[in-house]
Amino acid sequence: MDVSSRRKFLIISLGAVGASLAGVAAYPLFRYLSPQPTGGEKGRVTIPRAQVGAGQAHFFQFRGHPAVLLERTPGVFAAFSAICTHLGCIIRWLPEKGEFLCPCHAGRFASDGKVLAGPPPRPLQVIPVAVAGDNLLVG
Amino acid sequence: MDLGKKIADFLDVRLGVREILEQNLTKYLLPRNINSWYTLGAVLLTLFTVQFASGILLLVYYDPSTDEAFRSVQRIMNEVPFGWLIRTVHAVGANIIVLALLMHMLSVLFMGSYKSPRELTWVAGFLLLLVSLGMCLTGYLLPWSQLSFWATTVATKSSEEIPLIGDLAVRILRGGAMVGQPTLGRFFALHVMGFPLVFGLLALFHLFCVRRVGISRPPFGPEWQPAAPPTTFRHEEHPGGIPFFPHYVAKDAAVIAFFLALLLGVVFFAPGLFFPPAAFEPADPFVTPPGIKPEWYFLWAYQTLKILPSEFLGLAVQGAAVTLLLFLPFLDRSPERRPARRPLFVTFFLLGVALFLALSVWGHYS
Repeated sequence: MDVSSRRKFLIISLGAVGASLAGVAAYPLFRYLSPQPTGGEKGRVTIPRAQVGAGQAHFFQFRGHPAVLLERTPGVFAAFSAICTHLGCIIRWLPEKGEFLCPCHAGRFASDGKVLAGPPPRPLQVIPVAVAGDNLLVG
Repeated sequence: MDLGKKIADFLDVRLGVREILEQNLTKYLLPRNINSWYTLGAVLLTLFTVQFASGILLLVYYDPSTDEAFRSVQRIMNEVPFGWLIRTVHAVGANIIVLALLMHMLSVLFMGSYKSPRELTWVAGFLLLLVSLGMCLTGYLLPWSQLSFWATTVATKSSEEIPLIGDLAVRILRGGAMVGQPTLGRFFALHVMGFPLVFGLLALFHLFCVRRVGISRPPFGPEWQPAAPPTTFRHEEHPGGIPFFPHYVAKDAAVIAFFLALLLGVVFFAPGLFFPPAAFEPADPFVTPPGIKPEWYFLWAYQTLKILPSEFLGLAVQGAAVTLLLFLPFLDRSPERRPARRPLFVTFFLLGVALFLALSVWGHYS
């Protein structure tokens, strides 16, 4: 074996050992920094019906994200993700207009989540709601 | 032409990197009789890199409040995947670093490498040791365990004996009359920002001094002769020496591997070595656990305070020892570095090491 091929062999071997060690160190690091399950990410959220006034919006955490619940007409409830579909700001409810406004870039959404005006490309994400006695089951 | 060569050519045309690499690696010659003790600088650089990386990772989950600190550390140890590994590496790493720092300091003392023209290298190195001990002391409080709380209470209380400003010093260190949230806040700030910043600047200066003055030649062998202290700046060259790369880098890598193996050996096979039972209980300011003692590297100081008739005398002795070591190159001005020709120094050196060990063992068992 001449010098240059021996040197190449050594470089490749050292590179392989280094890459293996880097892999061994990277796995714990990746696991350490990965988001931890917070629980309730698949579950339903129960909200007392009395908390949602007619024409008012109730903001709450749903599976780790902000969501909004409103009584559109008496006895008819709707829930949406409160994250604007444009750039991720949190929408506001304008009770006097009966619509949502995104304060970042003036995106407007109707009370059924559809885009009325502004830059949002999609309607708000709809979350299923069911009435169970005095409670509302979201999700 | 392969990509690596293209990138190297690109950088070489613009920054002359090949010349820099040659000057600092293959054409950087070290004395032929250089020994393994000279690798401890590279070992410490590696260990501190591990320590900084693991410290930054711990910051992701650590919460520096008295209500949450202990719980957040428990969470890191028991819930976060591989949190136990990161935290144990950090805690054990601190101990291995102190061991390597002491070995580095003792080898420099024994070989007289602190002497002219390397006084500034020594002073910066010794200050690095003190800052490292500061990082150990401040880091000890952060888990907010019984051990942390009471070790810090005892350590900060000893400053009370400083004449005139003792009470003020304790209150400033603690941020109040007792160890509490203000203490945790300031120790946290010092541990993660203050000391590392000072450490980084000192380490840069230390490395600059080492490179600028040149590596000292080990004072062994028939050809070594003491030289008169220089009157003008001169970089110490070693013509005919061994190249730093690949020869000495291989030796550096071997000793670094040894220290990393020691670190991981303790982490995997004796993870509880530096965690007494009081480290697993949350801090309780109303219950002092029995037998609280500092870490092994502070035991000599702890025992000195115990055996001397007054705490003031103990502090004075410790202060004198630290000051003597800091300014040693300005006191010991003889150009002779061969240990066999420095019987008085070697006697004091051995007595000093023996005293450190004896006080530490005594402190541990007392």
